[in-house]
Amino acid sequence: MAKINPAFGKELKKYGAVNFNACYNCGNCTAVCSLSTEDVSFPREMVRLSALGLEDEITSSLKPWECYYCGECSTHCPQEANPGELMMSLRRWLTAKYDWTGLSGLMYKSLPATIVAFILTFAAVLVFAFMNNFNLDHIMHVGHLFEAIAIGTIMVVIFIPNIARMWYFTVLRGEDKVSVKKYFSSLGEFFVTMFVQKRALDCDDNRFRWFEHFILVLGYLSLLFTTVFLDWFSTPYLAVNIFGYLVSAIVFVVTIDFVGSRIKKKKALNKHSQPSDWFFVIWLFLMGFTAFFVRLFIDLDIIESNKWLYIIHFTVLVQWALIIVPFGKWTHFLYRSFAMYFAKLKEK
Amino acid sequence: MEKKPKKIGVYICHCGGNISDYVDVEKVRQSVEGEDIVFIAKTTMFACSDANQRDMVEDIKANDLDGVIVASCSPKLHLLTFRNVSVRADLNKYTYVHANIREQASWAHSDNKAGATEKAIHLVKAAIAKSRYAEALETNKVKAIKAVAVVGAGVAGMKAALSLSEKDCEVLLIEKEPFVGGRVAQWDAIAGTKESGKEMVKRLYDEVIKRSNITIMTNSEVIENKGSVGNIALKIRKIPRYINTSDFKPEELKKAVSVCPVEVSDEFSFGLTKRKAIYESEPGEYPQIPVVDMKNCTRCGACEKVCKAVDFSEKEEIVEFAVGSVLMATGFDPYTPAQGEYGYGESSKVVTLGQFKQMVADQNGKLMHNGKQVKNIAYIYCVGSRQTEGENTYCSRNCCTATIFSAITAKQKFTDINNYHFNRGIRSYGKQEIMYADSLRQGDIYLQGNDDNLPEVIVNGNKTSVKVNDILTAGKEVEVDADLVVLVTGMVPRADHSVGTLFKLPKGRDKFYTEVHMKLRPVETAIDGVTIAGTCQGPKNIAESVNSALAASTKAYSILSKGELETDPQIARIDAEKCTWCGACEEACPFDAILKVEKDGKTVAEINNTVCKGCGMCAPVCEPDAVNLIAYSSEMITSMIDALA
Repeated sequence: MAKINPAFGKELKKYGAVNFNACYNCGNCTAVCSLSTEDVSFPREMVRLSALGLEDEITSSLKPWECYYCGECSTHCPQEANPGELMMSLRRWLTAKYDWTGLSGLMYKSLPATIVAFILTFAAVLVFAFMNNFNLDHIMHVGHLFEAIAIGTIMVVIFIPNIARMWYFTVLRGEDKVSVKKYFSSLGEFFVTMFVQKRALDCDDNRFRWFEHFILVLGYLSLLFTTVFLDWFSTPYLAVNIFGYLVSAIVFVVTIDFVGSRIKKKKALNKHSQPSDWFFVIWLFLMGFTAFFVRLFIDLDIIESNKWLYIIHFTVLVQWALIIVPFGKWTHFLYRSFAMYFAKLKEK
Repeated sequence: MEKKPKKIGVYICHCGGNISDYVDVEKVRQSVEGEDIVFIAKTTMFACSDANQRDMVEDIKANDLDGVIVASCSPKLHLLTFRNVSVRADLNKYTYVHANIREQASWAHSDNKAGATEKAIHLVKAAIAKSRYAEALETNKVKAIKAVAVVGAGVAGMKAALSLSEKDCEVLLIEKEPFVGGRVAQWDAIAGTKESGKEMVKRLYDEVIKRSNITIMTNSEVIENKGSVGNIALKIRKIPRYINTSDFKPEELKKAVSVCPVEVSDEFSFGLTKRKAIYESEPGEYPQIPVVDMKNCTRCGACEKVCKAVDFSEKEEIVEFAVGSVLMATGFDPYTPAQGEYGYGESSKVVTLGQFKQMVADQNGKLMHNGKQVKNIAYIYCVGSRQTEGENTYCSRNCCTATIFSAITAKQKFTDINNYHFNRGIRSYGKQEIMYADSLRQGDIYLQGNDDNLPEVIVNGNKTSVKVNDILTAGKEVEVDADLVVLVTGMVPRADHSVGTLFKLPKGRDKFYTEVHMKLRPVETAIDGVTIAGTCQGPKNIAESVNSALAASTKAYSILSKGELETDPQIARIDAEKCTWCGACEEACPFDAILKVEKDGKTVAEINNTVCKGCGMCAPVCEPDAVNLIAYSSEMITSMIDALA
C-alpha cells in the first residue's frame, strides 16, 4: 500500500522538473528510449512515480542513473511533459537524498545559498592571500597542498558515507540478497562506466557527445593527476609541462562547446539548464582555462607581476573542490558509476 | 373487355464482367426471348449507364411497352434507377420488375458457370412471371397537419421548438414539470462555455416565449394519442399551479411559503436543501411563477390565509390538440447510487457529482463539508455506468468531461484542494481533451482501475479513504485519504417512461428510446412521425443533445412541410368478404396498422394505409387468406415459384 503524496511534485519542481504532471501515460517516451528495456523500463514509470509522489520507490530506484539524457523522450512527448528533464531532476533529487549533510539539496533548490557559498569562498581566498602578504610562492604551495587534502577529506567525509547511503537505499534495503562473489564479479561494470560511459553510446545519435564527454573526463582526470601528483606548476620536466598544457586545453575547449549548446538550447537536453548545470560547465571551463594561463605566465615569467591570475585560479579551485564537487553536479561521476555497478548486482 | 396482352422489354446486364464472366448472358437472353409477353430481349454492357437508360426510354416509347425488366445487380443498388427510367418513358414506376443475377447468381456461383447461368435464367423467368401481374400503382396521399408536439422542455426540447418555429409550423411545447429547463437548469458552470446552465436556460426560454407559434405548456402531460403521422390527436392533462397569476403579490407569497408546514427534499439542488409544498421558482427555473406541489401538499390551508393568490379552486384541464408529428425530448434521470455503493449513504463524505457541483457553486473561500475543510477530493468515475455487474453496461459519455471540468472549476476557486480521479480510462473525446490536459497540468492525479479492479471506498470511523490497484503504476495498490468522495454518476433512462409507452416507442438494450439506424436515420423511430432528441435516446452532452434536437426538428418538419404525405402503395389489403376477424393479423402487426372496424354489419380488419409498411407479417397468419400484399399478391408469388421450379 502506498500513500499518494502530491507535495512531492512541488518539491521536485524546485529541482528543475518541468510540467511532468501533464503526462497522460501514453508511454511514447519509453517506446522511443533506446536504453529502456523490458526489464528496466523508463522514463514513463519514473514520471508516474513522481506524479504520485511515491518517494520510497524513487529512492530505491537506479533508473534515473541509467538514463543518459539523449532527449528523444522529451522531443516525442505529445503532452510536452519533458520526461527527459524529469529524469534529470530525479538525479538531482537523488543526489540530495544520498547526501547526508543536506547541503546538496540546499544548493540545488536555492540559488542565493549557492551564490553566498561562492562569495564566501572567494572572500576566504582573498583573506588568506592578504594574510600571507600576497606571497605567491607560499600561496601556490598551499594551493597545491589544498588540492590533495581537499580530495582526501571530501572522499572520506562526504563521498564514502553518501555512497554507503545510496547502497543502502538501492541494494541493501531491497528484497534480494546479493552474494559477496557478485560484488567482485560485477566490478567491471563500475570501471567501464566511470572511465568510458559505454552505456551513453547506446543513446540514439550520441556518438559525438559521447566522444566529447569521454575526452573531457580523460582530460579532467589527467589535469587533476598532473597538478596534484606531478606538480605541473613547478615541474622541471618538459614532457609533463606539455602534457599539462594539452589536458588543460582539452578541458576548456570541450567545455566551451558544452556551454555553447546550453546557450543555444537546440536540443531537448539543453533547454532547461539549472544553475547547477551552469556552475558545473563554467567552473570546469575556468579550471582548465586559468590553469593553462597560470602555467603560461609562469613559462613567460610574468606570473609575479600578475598575481591576480593565480588568485583567481585558486578561487576557482577552492569553489570547485568545496562546493561543486561535494554538493553539486560533479557527483554524477561517482553516482552513475556506482548506479551501474549496483544495477549489475541486482541483475538476476 | 378483353385485356390486351402485355408487351415487356428484358435487359440482361454484363455489369462489365461481374456478371458476364460467369453467367452466359447471351444464353439467358435467348432462353427468355421466346416468352409470350417478352417483346424485346437485349444484353447490355452496363444497364445503369446513361446511354443504356436512354435506349430503354426509346425502346419503351417506340414499341409501346407495358413494362421492363432489368436483370442486373441487387435492387438495393438500382431498383430506383430503373423505376425512374420507366417514369421517364411515361410508364407507372411500379410496372418495373427487377431481377438480381449478380449477387444471386454470378457472384454466388463463380465456381460453377453453367449452374450460374441456369440460375440466372430461372431468376429472369420468375421476374417475367411477376411482370405479368405487375400493376400500375398510385402512392397514397394523406393530409399532414403542420404542427409538431415537442415533449419535454429541456435544452433539447426548447432548441427543437425554436428551430421548428422558424418554419411555418405550429409548435406545442409540453413540459411535465412546473418549470422548463430540465437538468441543465440545475447547473451553474458548464464545460465549454462561460455561460452557466441557468443562464443558458433563461436565454432559450426568453426566446421561446417571444415566438408566437410556440405554445408552451408546463405542468402538463400527454395522456392519450390517436391517429398516425400527419394527423395525431393528443390529449394533454394540464395540472394547475394553484396560483392566481393575475392577483399576485410577491411579499404575500413569500409569507405563504414561510408558513407552509411541509418540507421535502429539493430535487433541484440534488437534495442538498429542502423546499416547501408551495415554492417559488429558483433562479434558473422558468416561468418564474410559484407553484403548489399537490403531491406533497396536505391542504392545511395555512398559505391561503396569508396569500390571496393561492387558489385551490383551480381545476385540472384536459386539452386536445392535433399535430402532424411528435418530437420526444424527455431527457434522462441521474443515476442514484445504491445504499452502500462506494460508501454512498454510509459515509456523509460520499456525495454525487451533481451535489458536488452545487457545493462548489454555493461556497466561497474555503470548501467546507459537514463543518470540515475539504482538501483531498476523490472522484470515482463510472458509477452506474459501464457496470460489469448490473444493467447499465453503457458509457454515459458526458461524465468524464463533466468531472474534469468540475475539478478544474473547484481547483480554481479553492486553490489548496487536491483532485484525485479514480477512473477507468478517460473518455474526454474531441476538443474536451484540452480540458483533460489542463487538469493534468494543474496537478490533478489520475488513477486507473479496470473492470475487475474497481476502486474501493473504506469508511473507518471518521476516516474515509479510497484505494485502487493503479494499472498505470504496474497495478500497485495506492491509497488516498479523502475528505470528500465524489461519485461520478451517469445517466439512466427516465424511471417514468409513460409517454414513451403511450407512443409505443421501442427501447434499445440500454432501455433508452432507440432510433431506426444509429448512423443513417439517427433521430427517427420505428413509429412513423415520432422523432427523438436529446438524452431520452441515450447519454449525451449538451452540444450533442442540441445537435440531435436540430436534426429531429428538421426531420419532423420535412415530413410535414408539403402539407401532404405520400406513402408507399405496396401495403397489405384486406378482402372484407373473406375476413372473419380473428385478430391474428392485429397481433402479428409490428406497426399497429390493423384496425378493427364494422363494415356492412360485419366486424372486419382494415389497414391503416399511412401506418402499414407492407412488411407482410399479417399475410401468412390469416387463416381465411383475406390478406393480400399489394405488388406481392398470392398469384404473383405462386407464378414466380412456378417459374423457378
